Parts: sequence; C-alpha cells; structure tokens
Amino acid sequence: MSGVDIKTEALQRAKEELEKRLNRTLAVSASNLCTHCGWCIDTCHYYKATKDPHISPVAKAEKVRRIYKKEHDWLSKVFPKWTGAKELTEKDLDELVEVAYRNCTMCQRCTVNCPLAVDTAQILGAARAALNAAGKSPEILVQLADAAIAREESMDFFKEFYLEQIAELEKEVQERLGNPSAKIPMEVQGARFLYVPLAGAHTIVPPAIVFNAMGESWTMSMFDAANYGVYLNDRERSKKIADRIVKEATRLGVQEVIVAECGHAYVTLRWEAPTWFDKPWPFKVRSLVEVIDEYVREGKLHLSPDLVKEPLTYHDSCNLGRNGGMFEAPRRVLAGVATDFRDMNPNREQNLCCGAGGGLIAMEEWRDMRLTAGKPKADQIKATGAKVVIASCDNCRHQLNELNEHYDLGVQVFGVAELVANALTKE
Amino acid sequence: MGEDTLLSFVQNELQIVVLIIFGTLYAVKAYQISRRPAPPQGGVPRAGILGGVAKSYGMTFVPWMMESSRTHLGRWLEYAVYHLGAGSAIAATFLFPFAPSWMVPWVRYTFLVFIALASVVGVIKIVRRFTRPELRVISTLDDYFSLISLEIWLLTAIPAMTLNRTGMIVFFIITAGFLLYVPFSKISHYVYWFFARFLFGVKFGRRGVVPRSGGA
Repeated sequence: MSGVDIKTEALQRAKEELEKRLNRTLAVSASNLCTHCGWCIDTCHYYKATKDPHISPVAKAEKVRRIYKKEHDWLSKVFPKWTGAKELTEKDLDELVEVAYRNCTMCQRCTVNCPLAVDTAQILGAARAALNAAGKSPEILVQLADAAIAREESMDFFKEFYLEQIAELEKEVQERLGNPSAKIPMEVQGARFLYVPLAGAHTIVPPAIVFNAMGESWTMSMFDAANYGVYLNDRERSKKIADRIVKEATRLGVQEVIVAECGHAYVTLRWEAPTWFDKPWPFKVRSLVEVIDEYVREGKLHLSPDLVKEPLTYHDSCNLGRNGGMFEAPRRVLAGVATDFRDMNPNREQNLCCGAGGGLIAMEEWRDMRLTAGKPKADQIKATGAKVVIASCDNCRHQLNELNEHYDLGVQVFGVAELVANALTKE
Repeated sequence: MGEDTLLSFVQNELQIVVLIIFGTLYAVKAYQISRRPAPPQGGVPRAGILGGVAKSYGMTFVPWMMESSRTHLGRWLEYAVYHLGAGSAIAATFLFPFAPSWMVPWVRYTFLVFIALASVVGVIKIVRRFTRPELRVISTLDDYFSLISLEIWLLTAIPAMTLNRTGMIVFFIITAGFLLYVPFSKISHYVYWFFARFLFGVKFGRRGVVPRSGGA
C-alpha cells in the first residue's frame, strides 16, 4: 500500500469519526449557533495569557466548525468561501493536533460564559476523536491508555509487585497513625467502599489514614482511576479502562466507588462512563473529598481549625467544579483546618483553569505553552496572598507546583486528603 | 401597480410567501437537529434539570450571571439594545399587515426609538468587526454581510415607523429578501439558541453546576 493510500484512509477515518460524533449538542454547536460575537475570547486562559487571537475559543472551534459546515450547512455546501467552510485535509489534521491538544484544555470556561452556550469543548473533543481515528493523537496519551488496559490483561505479572508496594505503604500508615493494626485492605469482599487511587503513594497513604481513623469499611483493588482514553476521546479505550473498575466493584459487591482526588477520573466515573454501559451500575460513585466532607458534617471527623495558620486558598479543578458540580465539599473541609481561608476570584464554575487540563500535563513537548497558559492562575493565586494552595486534582497539583516554581509564588501545594491526614496524625 | 396596491402586496402576499418559505426552512433545520441522538446523560443526578434549564435560558437576559457580561456591562447593554431593536422591527413586520390597529403612534414611536438605538449599536458592531484583530481573525464574509444587511434593514425600518409609504415599501421588500437569507446565515443563531440553552441546562443542571445545587 502506498503512503498516499495510508494518508487517504486516515483522512477518511477522521471524517467518519467526526460524523459519528455528531450528536444534538455538537450538531447545534457546530452550526450557525456561533455568531462570532467574541464574548468568549477573553474568558479563555490561553487568550488571557497570550493575547493571541488565533487561540481564542471561537478561533479554535472554528477550525473544526468549518469542516462540519462544509458537510452539513446549506450555504457552506454551495459557497464555502462565504462562510469560511472547507473540506478536511491532511494538513488540517496536523493543525488540529495543536489546536485540540496544545491550545485547549477543554476547561469549558468559554461555554459557561457564552450567551449562546456553544460547547467548544465538545467541538474540540470531536477533533480529538477524529485525530485518534486517524492515528494522529499524541503518542504519550495512547501509551498511557494502553498501559492501563495492559495492566488488566497482565494482572498476574503486576499483582505480586503491587501488593508488596501496598504492604510498604501500610507500614507507613501504621507509623503515622501510631496504630499497628491500621490496614490498607485489598480486594475485600463486601466492603462499603472501593477506593480507586492514582499511581503514587500520595494518593494512597492520606486516604488510608483517614479511612483507618474513621474505622471505615473499605478496600482497594489492583486498578487506578486514571483514564487517559478520555483525553483521546477514544470511546473504546475509555470504556475498557473504566470497565476494570466497574467489574471490580461489582465482583467485590461494594456500595460505592470512591475516586481519588483526580478531576478527570471523577468526572469520567461520576458522569460520563455510566452512559457507556448498557446496564445501570449497582454502586454509587463519589469523590474522596465528598466522603471526607460527610465525615466532617456528621461530626465523625474533628479537625483542628488552627492546623494551617497561614493564608490558604482552594483551586477549583475544572473537572471537579465546572464539569463535576463539586464546589462546597472541599471548602467545608478546609474551613475546619484553616483559620484564614481566601477564595480566589473568580472561583467555582467561573474558576480559571490551571493550564494543565485535557491531558496537557502529560505532554512534555508543550510544557512552555502549559506554563504560559497557567499565568492567569498564577496571578490569581498571588492576588490572594495565600501561602498554601489546595487542589483536589492530581494534574492540577503538578501544574500548580510547576507554576509555583516558574512564577515564584512562594506557596505550598497540597490535596484535601493530605491536609486532613496531616491533621489526624498531628493529634 | 398603484402605490397602495404595491404597499399592500409587499406587506401581505409577499410576506406570506416568504414567511412560508422561511418557516419551512426552519422546520427542516429543526428536524435535522432532532434526528441526531441526544447527548447521553449518566450518573445519579445531583439536582433536577428544570432549575438548570430555567437558569440556562435566564442567564442570557441578566448581565450578572456570566463573567463575559458582568465584566463588560457596556457590551451586554449593546447586545440588549440591538436585540430589542431587531425584535421591534420583526414585530412591526407582523403588526403592520396582520394587526394594524395595534400600530398606534406610541407603539410605533417606541419601536422607532429601539430601532434607532439598535442601528447605532449596529454601526459600532460593524466598525468593531472591521478593526479588532481578534474579531477579524474569526470573521467570514457572511459575518460582514449579515451585520451590514441587518444595519440596512434597521435603517429602512425607521421611516417605516413614521408611516412614510415609500419607506414602508422599501422596508417590506428588504424584509422579504432578508427572510430568505436569514435561514442560511449566522443570523439564524436564534433558532439554535433554544436548543443549545436547553442542552446546556440539562447537562449542567443535573450535575449541580448551573445553578449550583446538590450540596457538593
């Protein structure tokens, strides 16, 4: 097969995928709904940071919208130049990689500020799906997604090693709690919670301390919550990755799956993945932060309000907040550990993205842009005068740490569970 | 054809014919959208969708619900005035032929004020589109044409509100041409707006984002 044929086939697959993604929201958003009024422009952290008109939300969406218009808009079919419509080409696909991955974190801030409710994230999500079909997705995201799938397929290979690591972490939990019977239970049948962490001790030890201190009925399994298939907008991979957790939760008969402090994993398991399966799940999904908040509200968890005496602020992860609806739970918990809580402005559903969403944190080749796009968030943090920044998303925390160094913010960055675990072990 | 007969023709027969075409085109558009699958909604809802849908529609009408309008109040006022003027002109195209008794002087002059203000905003919008780099980058020929033709239409509506017969004839002829172009252009955004706001309200409403609800 010649190189040209391969390219043509890839292009065809991309076109088919764009068509397949065309649900009602996308059909409307990719139509004449957008009047190019420009209200979205300065709501975007990329534009705020660069003032580059080519990476405003509407300019980015237009790169995809013009392709849809060529196929579906009456006027564009006959007079494409009149509406800016055009046929998808190989060159467009290459350009879309930057548009959909480097220049947009899918934070949806533009959508909540658009008078017409244009769903730019869904438009660029369709571009990601098309790029995936054409084999043009960033390689690192594909590798990370495939590694998660391979973990299930080669479980025997991983299991022993993972259990050894967990045993080490269990010792750390016992030491910090001063309780030799504290456990990190694995694959316990009938536990109330299945906690799904991320890769890394920092997402296992703090919740283990909290659950042990609360005498919670909980367990972990072999799989983590991260789902890189979602960033690719690859339904097949995403579903396989989510299915590992669904099968485990069902097998163990748990009542709830508790997701680690991770924005994309939460929104995936809480809101998106249930639509990929034919049957309703026999368990609920909550964030670890919601559970900790419940402990506090029910009076089970008593925190020391003077744990953090320095000014403290909270960063709303786009996926947990604007996309997931979790705003007050972390604030209620933080009110119990800090005497000087200072909200960023704007916050909650109007929060600014840290600049690392949409999988950008994993793509080292675009680190410069990530740090540039994070400037508005860095300025926001600086304006609060906070010395401690809390974020309930692991990718956000990585980015905030880098912003801290890059923009010399002089802050410490923690997760909610980490702070609560510190409070519990301090006692 | 005498002037009155001509006026009667452009107000009635011509309008009815183009309105039928206009309505048919929109019916086809609405059908095309509705045959697409609805975006799936999963997970146990945090809040009902009614609040989300109501707030979704409402947030367009009040300037404080979106940062994009809250921090650009002048822009929101322009938007309100522009749509009020366009709405007045649209209403006039129906009231003149189908309910002429309603077009009493105070109604016509109220419309005239709204339309005149909208035409001033229209000029601002045109100048802005030609001069602002961030708008030029995203502008198509349809954007320029739609804005300019809408401006011409608003300007012809002004003499029509004073019952100037030539003005009315020109206004109704331009209205007819406009009605034929609108379903193909970005001016048709107002039809999609109903769908988009509803879908936004369903998604963000059940997630407890708009409005913030559900306790989390």
